[in-house]
Order: sequence, then structure tokens, then C-alpha cells
Amino acid sequence: MLNFLNPLRGLDAGTVVLRMLLSCLCGAAVGVERSAKNRPAGFRTHILVCVAANLAAMTGLYLYLELKMPSDISRISAQVISGLGFIGAGTIVVTRNLSVKGLTTAAGLWTTGIVGLAIGSGYYELAVIGTALVLIAETFFGMISARIHRPPEYTVELAYDEKTSLENVLRLCKDQRMSIVNLRVRTIAVSADDGAQYTATITLRGNVETDDMLRQMRMMHGVVAVAAL
Amino acid sequence: MRDFTFASVCLRMLLAFLAGGAVGFGRAKKAQPAGLRTYMLISIGAAMSVLLPIYLFEMLNGPWADVTAEVGLKFDASRMASQVVTGIGFLGAGIIMKALHQQVNGLTTATALFATVCMSLAAGAGFYECVIIAAAVIIVVLNVMAPLENAFKRRLRDITIGVEFTCAEDINTITDLMKQQQAQIVDIDIESTEQKGGKYPSAVFILKLSREKHSHSGILSTLAELPCVRSVQELIS
Repeated sequence: MLNFLNPLRGLDAGTVVLRMLLSCLCGAAVGVERSAKNRPAGFRTHILVCVAANLAAMTGLYLYLELKMPSDISRISAQVISGLGFIGAGTIVVTRNLSVKGLTTAAGLWTTGIVGLAIGSGYYELAVIGTALVLIAETFFGMISARIHRPPEYTVELAYDEKTSLENVLRLCKDQRMSIVNLRVRTIAVSADDGAQYTATITLRGNVETDDMLRQMRMMHGVVAVAAL
Repeated sequence: MRDFTFASVCLRMLLAFLAGGAVGFGRAKKAQPAGLRTYMLISIGAAMSVLLPIYLFEMLNGPWADVTAEVGLKFDASRMASQVVTGIGFLGAGIIMKALHQQVNGLTTATALFATVCMSLAAGAGFYECVIIAAAVIIVVLNVMAPLENAFKRRLRDITIGVEFTCAEDINTITDLMKQQQAQIVDIDIESTEQKGGKYPSAVFILKLSREKHSHSGILSTLAELPCVRSVQELIS
């Protein structure tokens, strides 16, 4: 804690203005990066969250320090933290193929709110450290995050009429060091003389020359058709 | 460094940031919904939520001591941190989604975020040794335990199978086949009996396989061979 800032930590017209300006600034700094990427919560949302949290914290201080009410100065601030969790949950979207979008936005919004609380409580240096770390996480580590090597996923549709084919195909995948993420088997056509025909949808993860692997699958006994999706 | 100084605050924030990043790195590599940044951001917020009440307490006993003397000290330093726990609980609930056959996705991510936040609360409080141990435990649990758990479950005699079939009467054919394989049917949960909107009737079977025939892939492929069966899937939660 930096003691030379102590005169600025109380509540008077000047420090209220200072707090409002600083919360706008911190909210904007985080929001600009999100806006630039055209995410659901942009510039204004982040400023609003930061300013609102700042107001809530200031009101908590005001009740105790100015009105001399026997209250806990951190109670209002504390509820802001769980309340923003709700808002964050609202920004999360579950897409049709069961993946999640908006989680980073939710996390950023939540942390921006806590930065606002620090400003409202007069803990300016913590707010500045927090904003700096958030910006480092969003820009620098965002780039790293995009470069983290993820083995790609492939989905292969396989039609076959001999039940051992699937086993052979799966063995081929394992030999190629692909890991099987998901497997669904369906029976598509049945007639008395032809016997059953099956289709399997296999999701694989790994680094492999796909064209080559598909060719090998096609040549297998009992495999009718192979397609990569 | 347990004292509340500017240097120790910087150290705590940095520790939370790095520990959160360490957990997030392993998750990002596995293409999970929450990546590196999410874990870092949440860790920063959680550490701040502990540092803030510590600061307030210092102020109440320092520059604002006259008000404290007049009104009396009414302050709970753990109040903000306690709300972090509920706040991230909500966020986690947003990630959990229902998948086919009463399965749930995103539960591990939600709990990993929750654990990371709790770790960062310790970082904010200056409980350094706990943070380092917690980060190690969380990383090991997330990255090493999953294949172990799956391998273990595939060797069990108990198996949960989600089946899609053509019409409601096929359930009898399926259960007959299961009995023929000497599997004991513990529970059947019929999800739907009608074909509508491109979705077939489906049910979830919980079986106890016989001691002799307890290969999971064996029963799955036997079921898949039935003409009435549209899809078979082992459900591992």
C-alpha cells in the first residue's frame, strides 16, 4: 500500500471525480481490446460495469465513513462480485455443436467489475496493477493462446458391410497415433440377401496426412465408402 | 512477504496470474472451452477480491480510525472472498450444457475454474505455499487423471449405454440380446419412444456385465449389429 495516496482515499467531491474518471479509464482500456475483436461486450459495457462497481463500493464507504452508520463497508461490494457472476453467465453462449462462446468475455467483465470495486474503495494502485495484468492476459497471452498447438480434429464418415471392418479401421487409426474422440455406429440398410450395412461416424484427433489415411481406409475389406467431413 | 506492503501485493497478484496461467495452459492445449486467458482473468479478479478487504481493514485501523472509534468496527474481511465463490459458481453454471442421452458437458471446465479461483483467493491472502501446492494438485488432477479414470471405467463390469432405435417395441429385442449376453440390466431409462424431428427413440441402459463376458467393446458391437439399432454409445461421465 502506497501511503502517499492516503489523502486521496477518503470521500469528497474531488476524489469522487477522480474515482469516476479512473474507473472510466480502466473500463475503457479493457473494453477497447474486446471491442476491437467485435465481442458481445465492448467498450461501453466494460465502462458501465467498472463505473457501476465503483459506485457500489463508494456507497458502501459513504454509509460508514460519512453517515456513520454501523454497517460493513465491504458488504455492498461483495454482492457486486456475485452479481457480476450472473451477468457473466448471461454472456456465455452454448453453440449447436456443444461448444462454448463468450467465456473469456465473461471472465474479463467479472474482473473489470472487481477493478471498479478497488477504485471505489480508494485502492487505486491495486486497480492499476489489476488492469495492467488483465491487458497483458488479453493481448499478449491471447496471442500465445492462439498459437498453443492443438492437434486438429477430423470427423470421418465410414460405410461398411462387414462388421470386422470397423475394428480394422479403428486399429489403423491407433497405429497412426490418432486418438478417437467420439464414435457413433448406425445401421442404415437391411435386406434379406445383402445383410446389414452400417455407417460409423468417427471423430479423431492427431497429426496425420488425412488423404493418405482415407485412401488406406477405402482399400480395407468390407469398407464401402469413406468421407471426411 | 506476509505483511501488507506494495511489494507483497505485487507478488501476490503476479503469483495468482502465473498460477492461473499454469492451470489454463494445460486446458488450452486440450481444446477445452476455457483457455489460458479465462483462467488468468479470473485469477486476477479473485486475488483482488482478497486484497481489497485487507486494504479496507488497514484503512479502518489507520487513516479512518476516528470513524471506527466513533461508530465501532463492523467489518468482515472474508465477505468479498466468499462472494467470489458464489459468483464463479454462476459463471460455471453457464458453461454446463446438456448433451444427448442425459449426458452433461462442461462440468470439468466449470469445476476447474472454481478450483482456480479458490487457489487465487489463497494467493491474494498471501498463503503462498498453499497456492503452489494447489496449482500442482489441480494440474495433475486435470491432466493425468482423465486417461486413468477412463481406462479404469472401461475395465469395470458396470457399463452405461445410450441406444437409439427404430421404434418403441425394439426395447424388448435389445433387452433380450443383453440377457442373452448374460448382462444384468440394472436400470433402463427410456428418453423417448417416438420418432420426431430427425430424432430416433432412445434409451439409456445401465448394465452389469457377466464375469466371463465383460468387454465393453464386445457388448457395444453386438448391440450395433441389431437391425433395429440406429446408434450405440458408451456413456462415460
